[in-house]
Amino acid sequence: MLSPLRITALLGALLLGLSGRVVAADIDAATYGYPLTNPFEATITSTPADLRPLLPTDLEIDQKDYSINLRPEREHELPDNFWAVKKLHYRLAQQDRPAPLIFIIAGTGASYSSSTPEYLKRLYYSAGYHVVQLSSPTSYDFMAAASRQATPGYTPGDAEDLYRVMQAVRAQHPKLPVTKYFLTGYSLGALDAAFVSKLDESQRSFNFSRVLLLNPPVNLLTSVRNLDRLVQTQVNGITNNRTFYELVLAKLTRYFQQKGHVDLNEALLFDFQQSPQRLSNEEMAMLIGTSFRFSAADIAFTSDLINRRGLITPPGYPIYQGTSLSRFFARALQCDFDCYMYDQLLPSWERTTKGTGLAELARQSSLTALESYLKESDKIGVMHNADDLILGPGDIGFLRRTFGNRLTLYPLGGHCGNLNYRVNADAMLEFFARG
Amino acid sequence: MAKFLCLLPLLFSAYAFADTTSSTLPAAPVGGDGFTNPLSTLKFNPGLDQREFERASLNALDVYDPLESWNRRIYHFNYRLDEWVLLPVVNGYRWVTPGFVRSGVTNFFSNLGDVSNLLNSMLQLKGKRALNTTGRLLFNTTIGVFGLWDPATRMGLAKQSEDFGQTLGFYGVPSGPYLVLPLLGPSNLRDASGFAVDTLAESQVNYLNVSQESGRHPEILLLRGINLRYITNFRYGQLNSPFEYEKVRYVYTEARKLQIRE
Repeated sequence: MLSPLRITALLGALLLGLSGRVVAADIDAATYGYPLTNPFEATITSTPADLRPLLPTDLEIDQKDYSINLRPEREHELPDNFWAVKKLHYRLAQQDRPAPLIFIIAGTGASYSSSTPEYLKRLYYSAGYHVVQLSSPTSYDFMAAASRQATPGYTPGDAEDLYRVMQAVRAQHPKLPVTKYFLTGYSLGALDAAFVSKLDESQRSFNFSRVLLLNPPVNLLTSVRNLDRLVQTQVNGITNNRTFYELVLAKLTRYFQQKGHVDLNEALLFDFQQSPQRLSNEEMAMLIGTSFRFSAADIAFTSDLINRRGLITPPGYPIYQGTSLSRFFARALQCDFDCYMYDQLLPSWERTTKGTGLAELARQSSLTALESYLKESDKIGVMHNADDLILGPGDIGFLRRTFGNRLTLYPLGGHCGNLNYRVNADAMLEFFARG
Repeated sequence: MAKFLCLLPLLFSAYAFADTTSSTLPAAPVGGDGFTNPLSTLKFNPGLDQREFERASLNALDVYDPLESWNRRIYHFNYRLDEWVLLPVVNGYRWVTPGFVRSGVTNFFSNLGDVSNLLNSMLQLKGKRALNTTGRLLFNTTIGVFGLWDPATRMGLAKQSEDFGQTLGFYGVPSGPYLVLPLLGPSNLRDASGFAVDTLAESQVNYLNVSQESGRHPEILLLRGINLRYITNFRYGQLNSPFEYEKVRYVYTEARKLQIRE
């Protein structure tokens, strides 16, 4: 005979099964405990130091940078002063025993050695995995050394480039004892990871057992336009004689003068926002937007140079190690993501794939293009924030419908600001521990 | 030099300024799916056509750099030297010495550097700072055993760097053309001259006999160089941008202005 308790449990399971929907794990704001309620601050500063997980230092990690020569033709195509990016560099941290290997894909414009991939490496290394850190397909070094078209933004194409890199990385370490493969990425790297996972279903090189997407864009166009818009906020105090940077630096100077000395440490950053010189939300938004505009300028310049499009650098212009690039920088700075898409990505994509129009390009490049695959794939999980600035209305709804209980939605954190919060770190480790 | 490099991530990564007690945001309409739409809380310029990013960035590119061609070549030279010689040496140093030895070395040379910090604080008539640094020298040289430990910082006497370049800037000497020095990296005419004066002054003071002994034992100088690279976080290529030269130039220039004004 069934006890009432078991009947209820059975009923619950039935109802859940009948409704056909499993609900996302919504993390309640009260129990979450993340201290930064302002998404712009969270994005800029990430988690206060004492709330981060304890992680191994460089000395405790057996790691090395390696390089692979994937596009030997670039040796001649690229001017001499790009010598440092003619081979693709990546970082491998290895365990001294058989272990799973996790690939980490960096976000927009970011190198494998930037702070977030470094953090993720320490985290997963501490869990006993081999870790490979890869630059984003939108980063300067990846574009120059690994990308076939050197025109990133069409995600299926970027995923193919990444897949080839991963295969080359594995071929470089035939003796590394790998038990299984994991994959993760943050921001744009999370979107890349989803497409790489899809590609792996047909190519079967890695058979990833778990894939975790951290703060991916859902509709690429929405995210890109949000980022472009950040430099359009109204900032008070900008005059003909004072640019935005001068305004921020003046605040920093006043802050240091009042403090009496320059003391650069992590606590400084927190202290600064408590001072009268603290930045407003509009100023923080513009600062975040500025950092992304510099990425856009790098992408526009590098893509144009490698493909000899002549939009920024005249084709054949002699560039030696002593040649000033400042005027090309000045020109590239004028180009935001939207400009790059229209001037370079779209024409290149239309020529190579016979597709038409930005709407179609964006559709094929967004997470929504993988809806049915993501719905079926239990191995893929996603973590996102309700206050992420790269999302638009309806995006979280899509994630809920598509991932069900494989979505963990945090109430706070802005864009990737809570990745290094202890609660998130535990959840990330647990996700892979189950695989 | 090490200090300005700390400013790099500050200005060029998204991780720049922070807070624990957050400011208030106007309540945003929460969508049915839980999205709080942070951008909807911001005041935007109505036409969405301001060109402040472009104006500010072009303005920042405007650094007096008449020797740019030479500077860029030395920049590439330093980049290669760093990859092929300096970083491997630093890695070897890290490999063969235990952590407490390395921090002892760092503290020892840092204590020597306080001599020039003291001289320059006095030259700028910064009495409080001069007293602070005098206290540091006294405690670190005695209790800290010739500066191998740094008890002064724990006693609340923070290190306050002043060099002759800053002293010159304090009295209104303009920075002059931007320079990239072999081995040492970004500088300008004023700061490079300042560095020469500081080096000369140090050998005259001959504190703890180190300058004199360095003449006889060049390995002391070598250790000092290795330590300098060891404590400097900057890595060439770290900004991962084709325009790293311009960005480093701007950050160096602004960081020095900030140090002089403070």
